[in-house]
Amino acid sequence: MTLSKMNASMSLSRRRRARKAFRAESTYHATGVAIALFFLAPFAITLLASFRHGTEARLPPLPPWPASGISLDSYRSLDTFGAGVWQHTFNSLLVSLATVALTVAVSVLAGYGFSRYRFPLKNVLFVLIIATLMIPFQSILTPLFIILARLGLNNSLFGLTLVYVTLQLPFSVFMMRNAFDAVPKEIEEAARIDGARDLKLLFRVLMPLVLPGIATVAIFAFLNAWNEFLAALVLLSSNEKYTLPVLMMAVRAGRLGAVNWGAVQAGVAVMTLPCLVVFLLLQRYYMRGLMAGAVK
Amino acid sequence: MIKRLLAATSIITLCLASGASAAEKIEMWVRSGIGESFKKVVEAYNASHENQVAMTEVPFSELVQKYATAIAGGQAPDALSLDLIYTPAFAAAGQLEDLTDWANALPYFNSLSPSHVKLGTYQDRVYGLPVSVETSIFAWNKDLYKKAGLDPEKAPTSWEEIEANAEKIRALGDDIYGFYFSGGGCGGCMIFTFTPLVWGSGADILSADGKTATLDTPEMRKAVDIYRSMVKKDLVPASAASDNGVNFLTFTNGKIGQQSIGAFAIGTLVTENPDINFGVTLIPGVNGGTSSFAGGDNFVITKGTKKIEAVKEFLEYTYSMDGQKVMAKYGSLPTRGDIADKVLEGLDPRMQVGIKAIEVAKTPYTLQFNDLINSANGPWASFTNAAIYGDDVDGAFSNAQSEMQSIIDTGQ
Amino acid sequence: MAGPGPGKALPVRRRRRRSQWRGLLYIAPAMALVIVFFVMPVLFTGWMSLHNWPLLGSPRWIGFNNYFRMANDARFVSALRFTTYYTVIVTIAIFAVAFPLAIFVEKHRRFVGAYRTIIFLPVVVGLASASLLWVWLANVDSGFIGPALKALGLVEKSPNLLATFDSAFFTIIVMVVWKIAGFTMIILLTGLQAIPPELTEAARIDGADRWQRFRYLTLPLMRRTIALALIISVTGSILAFDQFYIMTSGGPQNRMISVVYYIFNQSFVSFNLGYGAALSIALLAILVIISVMQLRLLRIGEDRP
Repeated sequence: MTLSKMNASMSLSRRRRARKAFRAESTYHATGVAIALFFLAPFAITLLASFRHGTEARLPPLPPWPASGISLDSYRSLDTFGAGVWQHTFNSLLVSLATVALTVAVSVLAGYGFSRYRFPLKNVLFVLIIATLMIPFQSILTPLFIILARLGLNNSLFGLTLVYVTLQLPFSVFMMRNAFDAVPKEIEEAARIDGARDLKLLFRVLMPLVLPGIATVAIFAFLNAWNEFLAALVLLSSNEKYTLPVLMMAVRAGRLGAVNWGAVQAGVAVMTLPCLVVFLLLQRYYMRGLMAGAVK
Repeated sequence: MIKRLLAATSIITLCLASGASAAEKIEMWVRSGIGESFKKVVEAYNASHENQVAMTEVPFSELVQKYATAIAGGQAPDALSLDLIYTPAFAAAGQLEDLTDWANALPYFNSLSPSHVKLGTYQDRVYGLPVSVETSIFAWNKDLYKKAGLDPEKAPTSWEEIEANAEKIRALGDDIYGFYFSGGGCGGCMIFTFTPLVWGSGADILSADGKTATLDTPEMRKAVDIYRSMVKKDLVPASAASDNGVNFLTFTNGKIGQQSIGAFAIGTLVTENPDINFGVTLIPGVNGGTSSFAGGDNFVITKGTKKIEAVKEFLEYTYSMDGQKVMAKYGSLPTRGDIADKVLEGLDPRMQVGIKAIEVAKTPYTLQFNDLINSANGPWASFTNAAIYGDDVDGAFSNAQSEMQSIIDTGQ
Repeated sequence: MAGPGPGKALPVRRRRRRSQWRGLLYIAPAMALVIVFFVMPVLFTGWMSLHNWPLLGSPRWIGFNNYFRMANDARFVSALRFTTYYTVIVTIAIFAVAFPLAIFVEKHRRFVGAYRTIIFLPVVVGLASASLLWVWLANVDSGFIGPALKALGLVEKSPNLLATFDSAFFTIIVMVVWKIAGFTMIILLTGLQAIPPELTEAARIDGADRWQRFRYLTLPLMRRTIALALIISVTGSILAFDQFYIMTSGGPQNRMISVVYYIFNQSFVSFNLGYGAALSIALLAILVIISVMQLRLLRIGEDRP
């Protein structure tokens, strides 16, 4: 208990309440720490356990830290699955980053179009895009599979990316339209007088103003593409194209009739760490997007 | 300099290869996970023949789907090594080349693995022939037998004996168990290791024409009771109850006294776990007799391929003494019964048990093998778990019986 | 428009017309994607559902037979029943955890930001990763939960949590609550923060105790937020698949087959593409009904400010 906190609580409440406040504060933080432990422990246990020796992988993580020295055995055995963990991490990164780039490009254009232009059927088309939220994509996987095959995009990371971008659109277009709506018309007018038109106006003048919105769209696109499992499972069929979650199914299925739990732990670490880092770095934009969704 | 020389040589080789363009290039798909043997026989063939086989490994869970899409897109391979249980369904869909006349002309046709030929036959025409044979056998850990005071060289011949042995082995220690099976709804594992108990004593789970489910037999009741009793006496690790097949070879950890495994695993055990000293025998039936499940792959040819003669040449090579020896060396059992003894000369003597199993082995003939048996969510898979681990054995029998029958009926 | 002179009337109109199709041009990429990868597949699903559509061989028109089959399909009915059961239980569980958490992190105290972030962390990892993580934690021999209970002396023998329906279901519920509670918490938090503090203060002065304040002030004011959180939780749970596929592969004795899992099995394991499509249409109908109900719920929320 620091002095400043004591002062703060004393200035807020009466002096004789100080003791009670102190007790309340302690209870509060004890509860807080317990809650935090519950939510953090699974990550911590997995991460720590993944650095145990290969011989320990079969044993329960008691204690959860690598008691007999740090080793990369689990990561090495993870690497022996599929086409190697680098290849699959690369696939996942490629798909996620391409999804981010395309989603941002498509939704900025569409958001600008919906915010600034009038054209026939505007509202109908906007509702159509948003309505895709109501339909679970799980229920249209089969035709999606067939359409991609007709386009020559089955078992292709690009095809998968296009599907992911489509899944991101309702949220992203909504976000970007609101972002453009929030930009005062006057700024645009001024830029127009200066001779900026259309795409130039969009990229030079408006883009910096909607950057927070773009950040939100980008984070959601990245996380969703990185984590998606079912579509990747169905749409990708050759080993070297699998994304990380699909690779992990092979790891979970084991080899020669035995599961290598070390490889599972390493795989979970590889899959979760990027999400956690992206979130922690860009938390502000993520929460903004969430609130925007919640207020909608 | 050396690099340049190598480059020059490779160009010359390329020229030579393209010079001999009369040779055919066969596209062939193989499911992954059947081991090295097929890869090796392809290598041996390519090294000694003008025609070449280009082999693509496809994850076994994707093979059916990929092959079907490839047929639709006109990019199907010339031939396929297909899990034999799927041959009837593919033949019925009219996608396979009829091999009847050619097969009958093979001098050794009658000594090819009978289960494979039976599964390869649809409406009296032959569409598939054996590539690789896998049978289920019973394995016991000789070291644990010795420690438990049992005769390590004496193979158990009845389930009463197996259970009694399991109890003695379990008494050895906390983490030593007498028996193991993948009981968490693994249809493939259980049809492979568990049905031999009833087959050996003359019962079956499907009628001979595959149109009636005949699950509820006294033999199956008895088989279920044996497994239930072993579970109840804590002779089986707790993990077995939820093992959906991923830990099928738990025997390799050296802490399991007895388990029914595949003949392929003999190779795995010998090379990967040389410290495990084990014996193998045929799986006993509940009322005497022995049986086994014949698994493995059938060779099928895509309908309409232009390279059919070349494909046949390759298949004949795999049936030759050379081909059979290469495959046996890498763990696959010989598909030809007439030369099996010669092929296995000098290899691990335990492989002979796998061969003997072929004679008594069965494979259910049904177009819906996947829906009925193999699928993790099919009636057979859930029956094995419900009957052995559940509280309501009668309910498990009647549910599975009616669900199997309804799947068969909708498929007609 | 920037000050057009009288002589420029025509160009302005032309520009407006041009701007019309320019607007369409801007939204064209988005529309193309939505049409090719969403509208077409939905229509195609409807078309397929009227066929016997095997993976091999050619499709055959069978009218509404797939839908008749569905009505008598005991496995579909049990998938529906299980999905409903799961949805109800998991939603209750999520709210039971998320609401206290939201109240907990609403307070203006030290480190409250850190608590929020930590509770939210599992939300950003994938459901597939979370399922994998927990299937290991729940493993009987190599996991954490069972062996830890044994080490603490609470159980004699490490239990196989995934072996029986009840314990496996409970494990999955805990996993999902761990994964989702942070999300629901944040949504509820926005609702809590929107309540004017003066109101609460006034109620306190009027002598309302904590429970009364919650029951008669907080809850009614948060109707809309709660409805939103409820809807997100319900729609998400109806579409559940990853956790059952990865953690229990359909559960002890097939008792954890959700609707999406059943569609997946019919379409991509049994290759009854036509029947799978019909099931998808049924699922779609269910979700549309729920969406309509959701709009009602939200509107009710609007009526009472």
